[in-house]
Amino acid sequence: MTELWIAVGIALVALLASIISVEFGVSIAIVEIVLGVAAANFFGLHTAPWVDFIAAFGSIVLTFLAGAEVDVDLLRTEFKGSLLVGGVSFLAPFVAALLFAYYVAGWSWRASEICGIALSTTSLAVVYAVLVETGLNRRRIGKLLMSATFITDLGTVLALSLLFAKPTPWIIVFIVVSALLIWTLPKISPWFFGRYGDRVIEPEIKLVFFLLFLLMALGKLSASHAVLPAFLLGLAASRLYATHDLERQRLRVVAFAFLTPVFFIRSGMNVSLAALGANLGLLAALFGVKLVAKMGSVLPLARGFVGKDSIFFTLLMSTGLTFGTISSLYGYQAGIIDKAQFSLLVTVVVASAVIPTLIAQRWFKPKTDEEGDD
Amino acid sequence: MYEKILVALDGSEGAQKALAAAVELARTYGAELHSLAVEGKLPAYAASIGEVDEAKAEKDAFFERIDREAVAYAAEHSVELHPVKMVGDPADRVLQYAEEGGFDLLVLAARGHSLAHRFHLTGTADKILDHSPCSTLLVR
Repeated sequence: MTELWIAVGIALVALLASIISVEFGVSIAIVEIVLGVAAANFFGLHTAPWVDFIAAFGSIVLTFLAGAEVDVDLLRTEFKGSLLVGGVSFLAPFVAALLFAYYVAGWSWRASEICGIALSTTSLAVVYAVLVETGLNRRRIGKLLMSATFITDLGTVLALSLLFAKPTPWIIVFIVVSALLIWTLPKISPWFFGRYGDRVIEPEIKLVFFLLFLLMALGKLSASHAVLPAFLLGLAASRLYATHDLERQRLRVVAFAFLTPVFFIRSGMNVSLAALGANLGLLAALFGVKLVAKMGSVLPLARGFVGKDSIFFTLLMSTGLTFGTISSLYGYQAGIIDKAQFSLLVTVVVASAVIPTLIAQRWFKPKTDEEGDD
Repeated sequence: MYEKILVALDGSEGAQKALAAAVELARTYGAELHSLAVEGKLPAYAASIGEVDEAKAEKDAFFERIDREAVAYAAEHSVELHPVKMVGDPADRVLQYAEEGGFDLLVLAARGHSLAHRFHLTGTADKILDHSPCSTLLVR
């Protein structure tokens, strides 16, 4: 298949995914992953180096956006509780999944680390959609959920960046430049956005892309990963974007129209249905490990913070999607996990976005007509 | 015969017909007319907050336009329309609002605007018909 036909195939999948997403009210990301699976397994669509490159950049842009979407003030008000709940929500499933993969499934240590990271995540966006839809984002349970999820995400990106970093001289350069960018961006961007923003040629998006490509290049040189600085860079820009909605919307348009579809479709294309079919028991076990570890660790804490809504709270903390997929794709593209392991992890990640959310909404949704407690 | 009528709006052609029927009935019986537009569910299992925010903003803008147009249409026919917007499952919200508001007639379209509705994969109208607390007019 020529590269142009691969582009045609991916563009068609992206178009179909967006139509299905609109008509059925399901997130575009999940539809893109599922259609990517179908396109590769049933229609022979395969990848090319440029697809891998755009997918990798798409994952970094998604990470930047995730950082930029953090409500810093909310995090401050719920800091202690969220640090405890979010920290445990990362650590317990990370350790449980790592040990399970290594000792029970027989994966290599590094593959087990990827497994631990991919299954430790909580999806901020999945949580956010449920909270906005139910109005719980205005209550304390919603605020604590959002800020705890941020801490869990931070644990994930920290682990992904630190565990696989190699001690080369470039790592110093990577750290120094990352710190400089994160410190400088909030200082120069108000001036930059004021002078060059709100134009169709989008200098502010080009600034963000330049910084993210620079981080990716330095991350590659230092055998590390740009996910942590990209997340922190987004976090540093979050206050700016909160007051520049138009610029944020344009960045989202560029990301959602081209970059993130390639990332999610590419992730789906890596999934082997044959490998899944041959490992159904392991698939169920990995899902169970994630859910049990989250329930076992977060639920006792949640009881103290939100009382009777603790099961709802814990189920939402058990969801995962974006960072689980990013971690899995990183592990696959770096040769740390193989196709079968990648297929298992992404399937568990997608299942963890859907199943705990469904259960939480169906059986454990807090009453929304109660007075807000904030 | 009818004193308080509720019409469900979703921006579809069918809902426009339902609005026309409800306005006609309200004028004929001198009834109070209310409309309810339910901003269906946000994208489930989203991958970024942006996707949720943008979907919410699009729905807000879409349903505000529907409300404005419905009020203008009713005014053209000398009827005052009281529009209300809610978020959530359309069938649940319509049933809840109809019951709490003490309406004696509920008017809705047989088909909504999404493909899911057209192929009857979701049974919003069916569910409302089955559980409606008042007389219900299904407009085709």
